[in-house]
Amino acid sequence: MRLLPPGVAASALALRAAVLVLPCLALVLALPEVPHWAVSFGVPLSAAVWARTPDHAIGVVPPVLVGGWWASHGVVDWRLLLVAALLLGAHVAATLASYGPVTLALDPHLARLWLGRALLVLVPVPLAWLAVRGLDPAWAPPGTWLVTGVLTVVLLLVTARLVRAEAR
Amino acid sequence: MTSWRPTPALVRACLLALGGLTGGVVLGQEALVVLAAPFLVLAAMGLASRPRSTPLVTARLDHHRLHEGQGSTSRLDVDDLTAVEHVTRVAGVAAHVATSPPYGAVGALTGDGLPTLGFSPRRWGRRALGAERVALTSAWAGWRWGPLDLPEHGLSVLPQTAPYDSRAEVPQPDGLVGRHRSRRVGQGTEFEGIRPFATGDRLKRITWPVSLRTRELHVITTRAEQDAGVWLVVDGLRDIGVSGGIDGAASTLDLTVRAATALAEHHVRTGDRVGLLVLAADGVRVPLGGGPRHLHRLHGTLARVRTEARSVAPERLDLGAGAGSVVYVLSPMLFTPLVTATASLQRSGASVVVVDTLGEGMTGDADRLALPSLAARMQRIERDDRLQRLAGLGTPVVPWRGPGTLDTVLHQLARRAQVPRVRA
Repeated sequence: MRLLPPGVAASALALRAAVLVLPCLALVLALPEVPHWAVSFGVPLSAAVWARTPDHAIGVVPPVLVGGWWASHGVVDWRLLLVAALLLGAHVAATLASYGPVTLALDPHLARLWLGRALLVLVPVPLAWLAVRGLDPAWAPPGTWLVTGVLTVVLLLVTARLVRAEAR
Repeated sequence: MTSWRPTPALVRACLLALGGLTGGVVLGQEALVVLAAPFLVLAAMGLASRPRSTPLVTARLDHHRLHEGQGSTSRLDVDDLTAVEHVTRVAGVAAHVATSPPYGAVGALTGDGLPTLGFSPRRWGRRALGAERVALTSAWAGWRWGPLDLPEHGLSVLPQTAPYDSRAEVPQPDGLVGRHRSRRVGQGTEFEGIRPFATGDRLKRITWPVSLRTRELHVITTRAEQDAGVWLVVDGLRDIGVSGGIDGAASTLDLTVRAATALAEHHVRTGDRVGLLVLAADGVRVPLGGGPRHLHRLHGTLARVRTEARSVAPERLDLGAGAGSVVYVLSPMLFTPLVTATASLQRSGASVVVVDTLGEGMTGDADRLALPSLAARMQRIERDDRLQRLAGLGTPVVPWRGPGTLDTVLHQLARRAQVPRVRA
């Protein structure tokens, strides 16, 4: 019995393995604390489906579960930086895998391009981490949270408008 | 109609970024803001790179005429590449068509040039090349155009010109001019002998060294050179065996068509006139002719040979071949009427050669007692018996073996043609 379809590219397989493993690793960092069983089973399961079909909408579930668990436990130590990097890695691996079918070998130029982009988008992570750890929310001016909330809603609306496909 | 649509990666990045930001603000979870930060950048870059163009995508093949085993490159044309960062092409699967890369998926950044796909038909006949799906992706994998299906190109793949050469001459050349040595003395370049000068001889034929030595005028005599009419009878009634294309096992029809192609090419290049008769449900008859255009017509006709279950063997082969013609019957000889028709043709005075193209087509299964194996062996025994009787009537039967297959047989036929005939 064949586990894989014929002609699977090794690089495509490696990308899918990364999509499966990286969210799980982000959860493993919580050890010795064991997450709730729903999270422990939900992350590998959804990551497996995500790895199988990188374009599937289920790709949102592993980062949400992992990020939700870390946020709910209020952990803002060095492990959060690693979790952010691992989740970003899984997202980039899924993006690269979604460029074509499983028989499409990863173009080294495209891989280099996305490696550079991944490093670039990681820059705000330590800045946000330092801001979260170093700044006291009590110092914020009174209207900060309202402005941030409104800005978020505006961003949501703008994104929804932009992402809607044009009917031609 | 295709349009630029957000990729799942962009949608995911937007959801994670805005979800993280909202969760961080509303719920006061700082960790979510940290985790959402990279996705915020990804989402912003993806959204910002939204293309506005409407690209027109077409593909074209480098060649429109191919022999089996040859290859052609499919090139993509995109009229507007301004917003396109990456192009993915996936070739459709077609029978007896190999692609390069092997599974037909190729992608490249537009900065490196548009990716190309290689197609190579592995078997003669009508083939569909070039069917593919194409997807264009914008910068930061934000937007995708397609995947859109590009149509295939129907192509008549010509049979491979199998290596074939023969040094034997056609037994009874009957034309006016050609490369075969005639049995008659005439105006040619082939040396026949030297004889004393006679009235009417051309002065330029005088051989001065011999004339001076013998003190009597002598002339060189030469043989006329003639062409011949060659008929190829192709049995397209059945196809026995499984064709693996040019790289694998050959079915009987593969052997027949390739052998006919090789013979046609050899004889046309030799200067002979070649005709073709295809025995099939939609049989075709190509009259005698010569030259490259005629050869191309023969190749095209052979490429279109198809077997059908409703095909029946003819009772007689109506070629209109004269006594000087050579007829090659390329067939596995599985039908008695065809054997009878071949014998009748031989009796009519043509030089008939049966080229046996059964090959490994009826080797049978490994299990010799299995019913299909027994049936195949019985059919083969009957066929061998028919061929022996045909050989007994004076029609040579030779299995196709490529170069030199017919040399011995044609030499024997040429010798036989020189013997005076006495009709009963």
